[in-house]
Amino acid sequence: MAEAFSLYTGQESLIHKLHPLTKLTLAAFMLVGSLALPGPWPTYILFIAVLVPLALLARVFPRLLSLAWRVVLPFAISVFLIQGFLWPGGTPLVAIGPLSLKREGLLFAVTSVGRILMVVTSFLWFALTTRPDLLMTSLVQRGLPSNLAYIIVATIQIIPRFQQRASTILDAQRARGLETGGNLLQRARGVLPLVVPLILSSLVDVEERALAVEARAFSHPGKKTSFIEIAESGWEPLLRWVVIIAIAALIGLSIWLRTL
Amino acid sequence: MAELKEDFSTTTWVMIPVAIAINIAIGQLIFALKIPLYLDSIGTVLVGILAGPWAGALTGLLSNLIWGLTGLNVTYAPFAAVAAVIGLLAGLFSEAGWIRAWWKAILSGVITGLVAAAISAPISAYVFGGVTGGGTDVIVAIFRSFGFGVLPASFAQGVSSDPLDKAITFLVVYLIVQALPLRFLARFPRSENVREEPEPA
Repeated sequence: MAEAFSLYTGQESLIHKLHPLTKLTLAAFMLVGSLALPGPWPTYILFIAVLVPLALLARVFPRLLSLAWRVVLPFAISVFLIQGFLWPGGTPLVAIGPLSLKREGLLFAVTSVGRILMVVTSFLWFALTTRPDLLMTSLVQRGLPSNLAYIIVATIQIIPRFQQRASTILDAQRARGLETGGNLLQRARGVLPLVVPLILSSLVDVEERALAVEARAFSHPGKKTSFIEIAESGWEPLLRWVVIIAIAALIGLSIWLRTL
Repeated sequence: MAELKEDFSTTTWVMIPVAIAINIAIGQLIFALKIPLYLDSIGTVLVGILAGPWAGALTGLLSNLIWGLTGLNVTYAPFAAVAAVIGLLAGLFSEAGWIRAWWKAILSGVITGLVAAAISAPISAYVFGGVTGGGTDVIVAIFRSFGFGVLPASFAQGVSSDPLDKAITFLVVYLIVQALPLRFLARFPRSENVREEPEPA
């Protein structure tokens, strides 16, 4: 997919060769595990025992880490400062001036940072290793309506063109004297002259696109064949079932842990 | 059911990816201009208004999933349900004829923003520890220091930004819909909801 927006880079690795649905179930396993299991530590165990090995296998670990920490860090700082120090009541651990770090707040912050870390890195791991068009093709082969797959693939292709158009409009309006710097009010005044042309010009595309997809039998109800063939080794469906059973087990385990 | 099928015409299907791209491009533009708003649901609201609540909900849902699956802004993915509700409400307000006047459009936006704040608070509290990692966390800090729980503090943060953001979003969409040629609007299944019926000549 030339010029499509995605973090995917055509690398070679064991993980990149996996069927998209296998990677989807693995990502779902990590997400479900990190959101369902109670207590502060399961997410960190999942991170070290599952995510890091999978990222290393895919040879995306350094890239994943550099993308993830930029997202996770602001959350982590906020959550430690706000929930750690401003926890009402609680057991004080360390006092800094009038504030003190509370035990309960610290535990809450550690739990939250673990969840944020796993949500962010699971999605990033999936995005870094999976071609979006292959994912959609494989989902359509499993019965996903092709209209839905069209939306996702088309969006990913449109985004770079839109970003380009947005910067063209920004340049054009600046050339006409639009203030995009200065104080907040000046910048806010610039919003409409930028947003309205962008939307109007992109809506003009809609009519043309509708004709184009209709000419390619978009709303024809029959079965459609795909140009893309997805290779898959024989053991992969088995692996997927194992992961799906593991997800079910995780959900069962977390329900059991919460009723203890 | 027949109505639902009418809502999802080819024009609607083709409009949805364009709308999602509008969400993302404008969201990034606003972020680049350092304006303390999101304006990342203009496309969602536009589809909800022109193609009905279900098309709007689908646009919102897929919009946030795409933010996540492409790695562009992964922290948006857990809020996919909130985005779906925004699209759904836009469709319902349009059906009620609230997008025909600018002040009703703004009011629809404020209500949508309050609902969005109420549903995103529990998600934010559970997944993100109730913070956003941005400037509005000052509000979370103030509420926490007054002894409020994580959930109310997170809701207060949402109320401080969402109603204004959605009011501006709905106003922008109102202005766009008024600027679109009738010939273009007529291609959408719910176009009769947004403009007064033209006087018979």
